[in-house]
Amino acid sequence: MENQTFYYDNKIVKNFAYATLFWGVIGMVVGLLLALQFIWPALTFGIPYTTFGRIRPIHTNAVIFAFVGNGMFTGIYYSLQRLCKARMFNDLLSKINFWGWQLIIVFAALSFAFGMTTGKEYAELEWPIDILVAVIWIVFGWNMIGTIIKRRTQHIYVAIWFYIATFVTIAVLHVTNSLAIPVSLFKSYPIYAGVQDALVQWWYGHNAVAFFLTTPFLGLMYYFLPKAANRPIFSYRLSIVHFWALIFLYIWAGPHHLLYSALPNWAQSLGVVFSVMLIAPSWGGMVNGLLTLRGAWDRVREDPVLKFMVVAVTAYGMSTFEGPMMSTKTVNAISHFTDWTIGHAHIGALGWNGFLTFAVLYYLIPRIFQTKLFSVKIANLHFWIATLGIIFYAVPLYWGAITQASMWKEFTADGFLKYPNFLETVTQLKPMYAARAIGGAMYIVGIVLGVYNLILTIKAGKFLPDEAASAPALAKAEGKRGSGEGVHRWLERRPVQFTILALIAVLIGGIIEIVPLYLIKTNIPTIASVKPYTPLELQGRDIYVREGCYTCHSQQVRPFRSETERYGEYAKAGEYVYDHPFQWGSKRNGPDLSREGVVGGRQYRPNSWHYNHMENPQRLNEQSIMPVYKWLITDDLDISTTAKKIRVMQTLGVPYPEGFDKIANDDLMAQARGIADDLKSQGINVAPTKEIIAMIAYLQRLGKDVHAAGMPTAAVTAK
Amino acid sequence: MLRDVFNSIGGFESYGLISMIIFVAFFAMLILHTISLKKKDVETFGRMPLDDSSKESDKNQDS
Ligand code: HEC
Repeated sequence: MENQTFYYDNKIVKNFAYATLFWGVIGMVVGLLLALQFIWPALTFGIPYTTFGRIRPIHTNAVIFAFVGNGMFTGIYYSLQRLCKARMFNDLLSKINFWGWQLIIVFAALSFAFGMTTGKEYAELEWPIDILVAVIWIVFGWNMIGTIIKRRTQHIYVAIWFYIATFVTIAVLHVTNSLAIPVSLFKSYPIYAGVQDALVQWWYGHNAVAFFLTTPFLGLMYYFLPKAANRPIFSYRLSIVHFWALIFLYIWAGPHHLLYSALPNWAQSLGVVFSVMLIAPSWGGMVNGLLTLRGAWDRVREDPVLKFMVVAVTAYGMSTFEGPMMSTKTVNAISHFTDWTIGHAHIGALGWNGFLTFAVLYYLIPRIFQTKLFSVKIANLHFWIATLGIIFYAVPLYWGAITQASMWKEFTADGFLKYPNFLETVTQLKPMYAARAIGGAMYIVGIVLGVYNLILTIKAGKFLPDEAASAPALAKAEGKRGSGEGVHRWLERRPVQFTILALIAVLIGGIIEIVPLYLIKTNIPTIASVKPYTPLELQGRDIYVREGCYTCHSQQVRPFRSETERYGEYAKAGEYVYDHPFQWGSKRNGPDLSREGVVGGRQYRPNSWHYNHMENPQRLNEQSIMPVYKWLITDDLDISTTAKKIRVMQTLGVPYPEGFDKIANDDLMAQARGIADDLKSQGINVAPTKEIIAMIAYLQRLGKDVHAAGMPTAAVTAK
Repeated sequence: MLRDVFNSIGGFESYGLISMIIFVAFFAMLILHTISLKKKDVETFGRMPLDDSSKESDKNQDS
């Protein structure tokens, strides 16, 4: 076969690399600001756009989708072309992928700052942006599969399998979890409610970790690690097992985010079992990576690329051991809702994703600029500062998590909670939060050094936009299955069929887990006293979602005595049936709020208390880290949306009476006046039309219905 | 015996059993497949990243 000459597109790689660096710095600086707000809550500056609840999604989305996302595209666009011995399928598609993705990021940051959010973690984007994400994602997949089809190699290398699995699974997850009915251009209600919403969301959330933060990076590991070490992967056979076992198992593990919740037990147990089994393929992959370096350890000492890779793969091993441990009910009872989760997430994000991204950048930027890395010394400095940064970040959080969990669970000899005031358990952690902020700052210093080093490398080099290569064309007839060729061997050469098979492998778990929760009524026993929210409460709830209160407050009391003592009744599946979206939260920086409105309950507060608290939490509790929400007092509630909201809820099956949308605002105003009058009797003058009134109405509703049912607490045994 | 193990996990019921069977079957097939691969092929596949048909960008590097 005659040799063909073609050119690798390095320009698209360069663009994604620049975007990675840019968003990496921004995303992490926002993270640092969040960390500092735990020490100085005044750093929210008293304005809506910079409060914790709004910028926390900016941080998580920027790091996951902007930094890691662009890093992933950088590595995929570089390695895919070389592994296929072909230029990208279509330059225009590459450009649309790049600019579309950056546009999404900008839209995301702005919309979160303005409080446009679905209130579902890592899926906060509102529906118009969600559609844009889907379109750009398909452009990426089309370009990728097109490239694979026109490749000049027979076999499709295992790294590409990981890329394919990333593409199909993220597409399915994103679409399934984002299904919603719009109320307006920037507001929608998810089609799922309560427990079902929670299951779909965490099936998505967990698999975003699996298929956005893990599989593409494993693909990058399988390409760049052998490249940098200049030796083939330790065991190609192991990589095949790694791939299939990983994608098959991962998809089941989502419910481990919902242990001890109102999710039916069988689903929780499935999540636990599959999470624990995940250790096997994950560690198989880690061992495969590390053993590739056997006999090359002397080079690890000198080559910053390899150094970053070793820590990345080790961090992968650490977090994939820790994750399954946290999925067991014993550990989860302690770790859940604490900073343990945050520590775990950052070992993964900073160690695995961050370090591998920088390894890839240090590898490919000098190459596409035809020069050497400007300074190995600075790269080493980056390496050490960032490694220490991760340790400084994670260790205090683990310490804090155990401290806080113990304080939550501790009883006095007389059987009372030892620390009944939740805030005490937060104040105790402030030194740990300070240490964490220092660790994060060190990591950022490392990144800034990295950016500086790479800029000087770029300045010293000469960019090679189109890199010439040559290889023989792939003969057409070879698409057919040859005699004596196994099905999988054949499949490994057929990208479309392969994609479908990977899709089936991931769908099995999703379907078995999610479908029964819809079809089998007994999974969510109804509670007769649970009624839909009044229009005012619904509006208040939407403000709760807008402000991201769920980033600090859970609405999910676990069946432990320590929690029912502190908050009240433990959570029942039937109480959330009208919650579009669910707001269970995943981290308690403040107390659980799901029993806040129970009159005579452990957490009950009068309207005036809520008013004063929202206006300035530090005035009531000097040590509080809750942000001020004083604009709720001055801003008017937008009641033009009430009727539409009621209609959308009716479409979703919420049983408001026929024609209720027309009188909803009358109902709303009547309830609002009641609250305003009550506040007035306490000496607080505020118009019934203000947002704060709706917020108070919502907070006072929380938990009422369940308590009206007079549920017994007898089932509570565990501490 | 297996059923006892699952029951003791609590609420696991048949879903758990079905999913485990699916996984074990899948895994067994996978292992058989990887064992049956020819050694020569596996080596060629493993070397794929090292041969990208262009040395242009590598020429300034030490390794
Ligand atoms: C940065 C984390 C954080 C955010 C965001 C946050 N809170 Fe809080 N919240 C706390 C902390 C800490 C406390 C306990 C100290 C206190 O009472 O101020 C608290 C207490 C509360 C309480 C009192 C609970 C009780 O019974 O003692 C209510 C009610 C409350 N928050 C509502 C909200 C609402 C509504 C929002 C969103 C508009 C919100 N919080 C956002 C951290 C937060």
